[in-house]
Amino acid sequence: MKDRIKDLSGFLLKIWRHPKGRVGAVLIALLIFTAILAPLIAPYDPYDVTARSEKGLAPSLSHLLGTTITTGQDIFSMLIYGTRVSLLVGVVSGLSIAFLGAILGVISGFLGKWADMLIMRLVDVMLVIPTLPLTIVLTNLFGKSYGLIIFIFTLFGWTGLARVVRSQVLIIKKSTYVKAAQLAGASDFHIMFRHILPGVSHLLIMNTALTSAGIMVAEAGLSFLGLGDPTAISWGKMLAEAQSGGALLFGHWWWILAPGIGIFVSVFAFMRLGLALEEIFNPRMRRTSSIRKLWKSMNGAYLQDVFHSMDEEPVPVLQKERVAVRE
Amino acid sequence: MSEKILDIKNLKVIFPASSNVIRAVEGIDLTVDKGQCVAIVGESGCGKSVTSMAIMRLLETPPALIQTDALTFDGKELTALSQKEMQNIRGRDISLIFQDALTALNPVMTIGHQLDEVYIRHEKLKKKQAKCKSVESLRLVGVPDPERRYHDYPHQLSGGLRQRVLIAMAFALNPKLMIADEPTTALDVTIQAQVLDLLKIMQKAHKTSLILITHDLSVVSYMADVVYIMYAGKIVEKSPLKPLLRAPLHPYTEGLLASVPGLSGTNGRFIQIPDAVPDPANKPEGCYFHPRCRYCTEQCKTQKPRLTEAGHGRLVRCWYPLGRKEEV
Amino acid sequence: MGEPLILAANLSVDFPVRGALGKKKKVHAVSDVSLTIEKGKTFGLVGESGCGKTTLANLLLGLVKPDAGSILFDGKEITDISQKQLKIVRRDMQMIFQDPLSSLNPRFNIFRIISEPLFIRGGYTRKQMEARVLELLELVGLPASSLHRYPSDFSGGQRQRIGIARALALNPKFLVCDEPVSALDVSVHAQILNLLMDLQKELSITYLFISHNLAVVRDICQSVAVMYLGKVVETGNAQTIFDHPVHPYTQSLLSAVLDVDADNKRERIILQGDIPSPIDLPTGCRFHTRCPNARPECAIHSPELREIESHHRAACY
Repeated sequence: MKDRIKDLSGFLLKIWRHPKGRVGAVLIALLIFTAILAPLIAPYDPYDVTARSEKGLAPSLSHLLGTTITTGQDIFSMLIYGTRVSLLVGVVSGLSIAFLGAILGVISGFLGKWADMLIMRLVDVMLVIPTLPLTIVLTNLFGKSYGLIIFIFTLFGWTGLARVVRSQVLIIKKSTYVKAAQLAGASDFHIMFRHILPGVSHLLIMNTALTSAGIMVAEAGLSFLGLGDPTAISWGKMLAEAQSGGALLFGHWWWILAPGIGIFVSVFAFMRLGLALEEIFNPRMRRTSSIRKLWKSMNGAYLQDVFHSMDEEPVPVLQKERVAVRE
Repeated sequence: MSEKILDIKNLKVIFPASSNVIRAVEGIDLTVDKGQCVAIVGESGCGKSVTSMAIMRLLETPPALIQTDALTFDGKELTALSQKEMQNIRGRDISLIFQDALTALNPVMTIGHQLDEVYIRHEKLKKKQAKCKSVESLRLVGVPDPERRYHDYPHQLSGGLRQRVLIAMAFALNPKLMIADEPTTALDVTIQAQVLDLLKIMQKAHKTSLILITHDLSVVSYMADVVYIMYAGKIVEKSPLKPLLRAPLHPYTEGLLASVPGLSGTNGRFIQIPDAVPDPANKPEGCYFHPRCRYCTEQCKTQKPRLTEAGHGRLVRCWYPLGRKEEV
Repeated sequence: MGEPLILAANLSVDFPVRGALGKKKKVHAVSDVSLTIEKGKTFGLVGESGCGKTTLANLLLGLVKPDAGSILFDGKEITDISQKQLKIVRRDMQMIFQDPLSSLNPRFNIFRIISEPLFIRGGYTRKQMEARVLELLELVGLPASSLHRYPSDFSGGQRQRIGIARALALNPKFLVCDEPVSALDVSVHAQILNLLMDLQKELSITYLFISHNLAVVRDICQSVAVMYLGKVVETGNAQTIFDHPVHPYTQSLLSAVLDVDADNKRERIILQGDIPSPIDLPTGCRFHTRCPNARPECAIHSPELREIESHHRAACY
């Protein structure tokens, strides 16, 4: 247990030390903070559509990002509340994809045979189903809700991860350290929980961060199309309202910019974290650009010194008689 | 005195990494004469492969930084050439044989096609002529039934045959210099003997100079004229083959020779070199070999020995070379 | 002649493979192999890649079930016992691998790696495990400070020592060494081989030493079997085989080993051609396609192992 805590804190420290990781972590913490404390931070009730006198205000100290033209809602407060939907859908879908992908990938790789056949064929089938039309059909059938959207994302999102997990499981299964454990009498259960699951965990963590980012964009898209929960405030829906409410017509750029920034910042945060995790787990991913940067920081004179330190004086010639070949 | 084909002076390669600088090659001089076989011997991380990559200018910057006083091949200064000119030299004048023939061959092209490609690109031959030449060169390296094998893909061949195809490709344009990086390490013993024989015959027939990079002194003893022993990025001994085998001057060479178990050996303990090759980012003070050397003195721990002339064309980097032990 | 630890008789195993056009074919990995491994001795298994030596080792370890034949391990028949019983028998067997890096889980620290067999066996407290691991580390010559470091912090030779420590954790009687030095630096070979020999003396373990390096086998093995395409072609006392090889394959293997001796250039027999595929075996003697002194009858009849002298048998006319 003590080891686990040490491992975990070491891992968190690594993220913190990584420049991309730190940016991602700080931004995500801010987003979570905003989402939870939205009622405290937001200056107005974003659902309040009764303030008829304050329609279409430009940004000012009392309304930081102005108000909507159609209903007079406070845009800044809407932006803050939008964080909730975006984070919720992104993170919950990311986690459930990781869960489903891990289970199916591990089963496929570890059991092999018919289970593998079945799951891999299922992956092939999932890849050719057109997602958007199906989503429209399903929302019409079951009503619009974010639960349904999370379900759909999960249903279609696990395939790629399952494949990656499967191939990693196959590598671990064939490794000689698993053979050594089997020789010592290890059960399948032991191999599964001591070797295979820890061996794919880094894929899962990394994948969760990256897919969450992708799903946030997709969620904004669906909400924009009006497929999200009509009662909730989300950035995608804000964009749609801005468009239909004439933000472009009246030049109210802040109405469009606000949700845009929200989407950008949250996707950016999760992408940063995902990329940082990728580089932490796989040091070879470090691009040459980062090495160039490193060189610049090392300064040329130092590298020249390194070269010079290897130099030697010219080879002195020994006196001949001192040289004797050993018999 | 025979003609020099390759002359390297003071070649240094470093890899600046995040915490410290890896000194892969620390200023080595190396010359290869026409038709000569020069062996570079050393263990993992000694810089032997990096040296060969530096000669071919295949090291990318970053991650590597290279500095050299001279890198002269056949009268031309290689460092002054453009990438394009260098590409012409690679393949036509210098060719490479790798340890792993499977990764060196294109898996989706037949071996015949790949050989043709070499002739077409460098000798501007027509497709038909190229095919004749390819089949002929396959026959020359002892590929059985070359007309049929011509249409095979690399994965259809055994390891030994693949290595033969690679040799055929390497010799296709009659290069002046051949660099063979562990050419037989991945092969079985009986096949290894075949391939080494072939390499030797081809080298003599084409009068090619050969740089043989290996960790295996028994391969060296079969092929080489001159041997360079490298340790932790430096040359520790240079010598013609026979004197080296008879009387090594550097304790490391002695240890290497002792750890090749000969068939005439007795049923006893093996003579061992303690410890392991130093981490290239963290080399010891003084002589790099001192922590593993059984003759180590105080001087060895603090002062770096220089490469010193030892007569008969031999060089050694040691404060107390072995032949002179009794006198000191 | 010492007491036998392993008595294997007429072992054969084929693996089905799907050839081109979906035709079902068989790989004849091991055919009709019999051998005796004596207690406390080192038995060398020599052959080139694909000759079936790894499959044979897996058979002896009970990881692969033979199609025919029997294996007596310490007097017990192990080919037809249940998985559960096999697990108990297997506690006396362990293996060290060719590539020490891939045989250690990179996510485990040294304590977890070496204590894993103890953990699997169960019934040890954390303190007991720690004590045992420290004892093992000392046995293989690694500092106690290694305990909480990871495999990537160690050199090839040290990693192999870790692998040996793990193999010894349950006090095995039988240890399979699958090319234990061929992935290591030359200057480290001697250290590991000496360590293995010292451990044998100290703990009286029986080794099956798999290698393609004849010179190493000669120096540390008492008995040797030479395999070619799934068959044992020559077996017996190591000294005798290396001094007077009878089978032409053994002879050519020996001559293919390059010596570092500068003057004494022995006459070398260089075999022609490649090793045939174990799917389409040559008729008759499996070696006749490459044999320098093959005769017509070699292509028709397969020779049996014959006694040449005591403790020395070969399969050749």
